[in-house]
This record gives sequence, C-alpha cells and structure tokens, in this order.
Amino acid sequence: MAVRTPHFPDLLFNSAARLRRWEGALMGLLADHGYRELHPSLVLREPPPEGALRFFDGDELVALRWDFTVALAGLLTRTFPAPPDRVAYAGAVFRRPVQPWEAVERFEVGCERIQPEGEPAAEADVELARLLMAVPGLLGLKSAILHLGNAALVRRPLEAEGLFGELADAVVAALSRRAPHRVREALDGHPSAARLTTHAEALLSEFDGPGTLGALAASPYAALLEEERSHMDRALQALLPILPPNLELRVDLADVAGLGFYTGPTLRLWAPGAQQELAAGGRYDRLFPGLGRPWQAAGFCVRLSRLLDLAATRPDLFEEPR
Amino acid sequence: MNQTLLIAFPKGRLGDELVPLLAGTPLALDAAALKSRVLRIPTATPGVAALLLKGADLPRYVAAGVASLGIVGSDTLDEMDMDLLELADLGFGACRLSLCAKAGVSLEDLRAKPHLRLATKFPKATEAWLAREDLTAELVPLSSSAELAPLLGLADAIVDLVQTGGTLKAHGLVETAILGRSSARLVAARGAYLSEPGRIRPLAETLLGALKAKA
Repeated sequence: MAVRTPHFPDLLFNSAARLRRWEGALMGLLADHGYRELHPSLVLREPPPEGALRFFDGDELVALRWDFTVALAGLLTRTFPAPPDRVAYAGAVFRRPVQPWEAVERFEVGCERIQPEGEPAAEADVELARLLMAVPGLLGLKSAILHLGNAALVRRPLEAEGLFGELADAVVAALSRRAPHRVREALDGHPSAARLTTHAEALLSEFDGPGTLGALAASPYAALLEEERSHMDRALQALLPILPPNLELRVDLADVAGLGFYTGPTLRLWAPGAQQELAAGGRYDRLFPGLGRPWQAAGFCVRLSRLLDLAATRPDLFEEPR
Repeated sequence: MNQTLLIAFPKGRLGDELVPLLAGTPLALDAAALKSRVLRIPTATPGVAALLLKGADLPRYVAAGVASLGIVGSDTLDEMDMDLLELADLGFGACRLSLCAKAGVSLEDLRAKPHLRLATKFPKATEAWLAREDLTAELVPLSSSAELAPLLGLADAIVDLVQTGGTLKAHGLVETAILGRSSARLVAARGAYLSEPGRIRPLAETLLGALKAKA
C-alpha cells in the first residue's frame, strides 16, 4: 500500500552537482565497456501500471516512467528485431512510495546485457559483477560490500515441490525476513514442510565469503542446485582475484528480493552502515520471452537517490571530493 | 564511525519477562539506570546500550536502523508488517490470540449475529480470521482494556492476547476460538544486518546465547 504523504525532495547545489558528476562518471564507465545509452520516453505508452505516478492528460490517463528495465524492454521489443547486446540508461523514474522514506522521483543509472536465448550466460554475469565492483570507487565510497546471490536457490526448490501462489509467497516472505521458523509455520502440515525448512536453515546458516557456498551441502535440494552452486563458485573464482581494495564480497544464499522477477544470479551493493542497498541487479531471463522475444537478459541499477541521501546523512562514508 | 550499538527492548509484559533473563549475562541492564526514568540503559557490555520502548513503537526504531536489534512479540510484528529481519523465535512470552466473549456465549452464537461487533487491538489478524471463517463484522479499534468492551456493550466479543487467562476470568470472559499464537522474536534492522554483519551478527549471537543460558 502506498504511503499517504509522499515527498518530493528538491536537490540543492551540492546534491545537484553530485548527481550530475555521478551520472557522468557511471555512464562513462558503461560507455567504455561498450554499453550504448537508450533513453525511453518519460511518458509511458503502455497502460498505466499500479504503483506508477498517474495523471490525466485531458481525458486520457497516462503514467510516468516507473521502471527503466520495463520501459527499456518495451522500447527494445518495439524497435529491434535482434537484441542490441549492451545498453545503458540514466535518468529518473517516478513511483508511488511504499515506505515513508522513499521519494517519488528517483534517479538511477543502469545497464543491461542482452543475448539471444540459449547463449552461454556465465560470462555476461561476471562482466556485470565486474562493472558493479568498479562503482563504489567511482562514487568515492570509502568501503562497500557486494552481495552475490542466486534467485534459483529458492525458486527451483519451490517449483520442484509444486509450491505456487500464497503458500510460495509466504515461504519467500519468511526467507526475506531471514526467519526459518516462519517457513515452518507457513508450511505447517504441508508434505514439503520439513524439506523446505531444512533448506531455509541451510540458506540462512552462513552469510560470509566464498566458504558460504558449502552451506548448500546441508540442503535436501543440494543435487537439484548443483548447477547454481557451481555457477556461483566459478563467478567467485573469477571475481576474487580482481577485488578492488575496500570492497568486500559476500555470498548471500537467502537473497529473495525481487524473486518474482529474477531467475538466476543476483547482485546487491551495500555500504557499511547504509540502511538500504545502493545498487541491485541480476539475471531476469523471463522478461523478454514474456514479451514475445527469445532473448535472455541481466543488468543492474545504481540507485543514485539513495546514494545522495547517504552522502548527506553519512558523509564520513565518502572520500572528500577532489 | 564507531557508534554505540542500540538494542530495543520492550516495556510491559515481555520486558518484565526479559529483564530477569538477562541478569548476569553480558547484556544485563544497569540496575541503577533501570530504577530511574531514563529510557536508554547501559548494558554490561561497553558500546552496547538498550532502549526501552513500547511494543508498538519498537519495530519502527529497528526498521529505521536507529536500533540494530530488538525484541518484540510476533503479534505486534504481524499487525505492523514492517520491513524487518526476524532472526529467531525466542520462545518466551508465549500467548494465544483469542476470540473471547462473556461466559455462556459460544462461537456459534457469535456467528449467528447479523451485526457482529468485535473490539480489538489486532485489526489485521482479526480481519484475516474473519476472511478465513467467511464472516463479516464491525471492528471496534481499542488500544487497551479490551476486556471491558463486552461487559459494557461496546462489542459482542474481543480479540486479544491471552497468556494465563486470569484477566479474562476476572472479567467473566472465556476463550471461544484461538486465532493464532505469539511469542517474543529477535528482530534486526535489514540495513544494519546486511551492511554490517560483522558488528550485528556477534551481538545477535550474544543475545541468543544469554537467553539460551537462562532457558
């Protein structure tokens, strides 16, 4: 449910300058790696979705761009018979806030790596992780933490158990709270209760570096998830040797945020002491097939509005601007 | 920045059970401060302090990251639906969320009422139960002393927490249905837990260890 008193913060001198500088630095990074900018219209062509900022233009109800990935998907499927392989975006999205601290207008920079269905995806996933690893340094963050997860670690066991709808939502909500006891409560009496509770306990038992992957061995679905474990292991082997100073890599097996959207590896960027993640992304291979295109995709979005808030409230987390 | 870590502890029924459990542990609350009116209490561990908060306010302090950890009843969590991590069911403070009416009034009597009025502090759980039972009712929101409502004609029945049943008995009320169960939960701020696990997880483990040792 949207909050009743949404707020519309203005950016004054320092924040406005910082936004301009950060947008430039991040788009420069993406351009250097072959990502070409697309700018989907601020006014949506599609029917206004729930959660978007809507208004009447004369007699017609219209909505502002509320999510870059969705707006880009519309643009790409309308415009290109074959997918451009790397795209980037920068600008604002407008959303009715769910939490009281969320602004209506949110500034973002992001990118997407798009391939025809069936192409090997592992290299694209590592490429995106490497790009995201460069973001804290570009923004002047003194230290940061990159969380690696995989939506399939929860999605596949739920599908294997034939668990969909409200019951699956309850399990995901319990995992989001990191509460295995809630998984047990939600599945009370269901044949999969013991297996999924043990799985939840395994996912939540460790939250650390590469060794965390070993926790999957205790899951009843360890064999089912062998491909995901091995994919994450290979990604870690590729990323650890090039980890920049002041960036920590953590494996978060219980990352279920956006589980309805993500289908594979997920990435989340945090700064120590930040109350919200500063960037997020992952693989979402079902988006384009749902729009009639046999393409697979992954990407991430840097949430500049949250970073601007963090720079205002916790300047100690950032290097002095040069 | 090396800030003091704050844990939000509940006042009232849960707090009364919690404070003795912490005595003699690394998170024991300073006895002199407890006797005073201050709401920020030092613990036996330097750099860790406790906030004493009402149950309904406590989740907000934790969700906003002001307090890194907190202890609160699952009934409150279910009503508020805040974005919090719920790290453990602590087991103590167990009680039932029950539909209670005057002695002699059965659940069937209540079902048969064309205009049922239920007084409660727990509208969300009550609405969910009504939906499950395919019933409709007028909800009368109250924040305390719900037991008076059926006695004085404000409502036909109440939905409230029942621990021993002593208060119900004293008011001539009985449980006619159990809607759910509640117990104390250890909650954490999502941001603090995910961005500073090296600080927050050891504190959570200390708290769990202290409570386990007394169990």
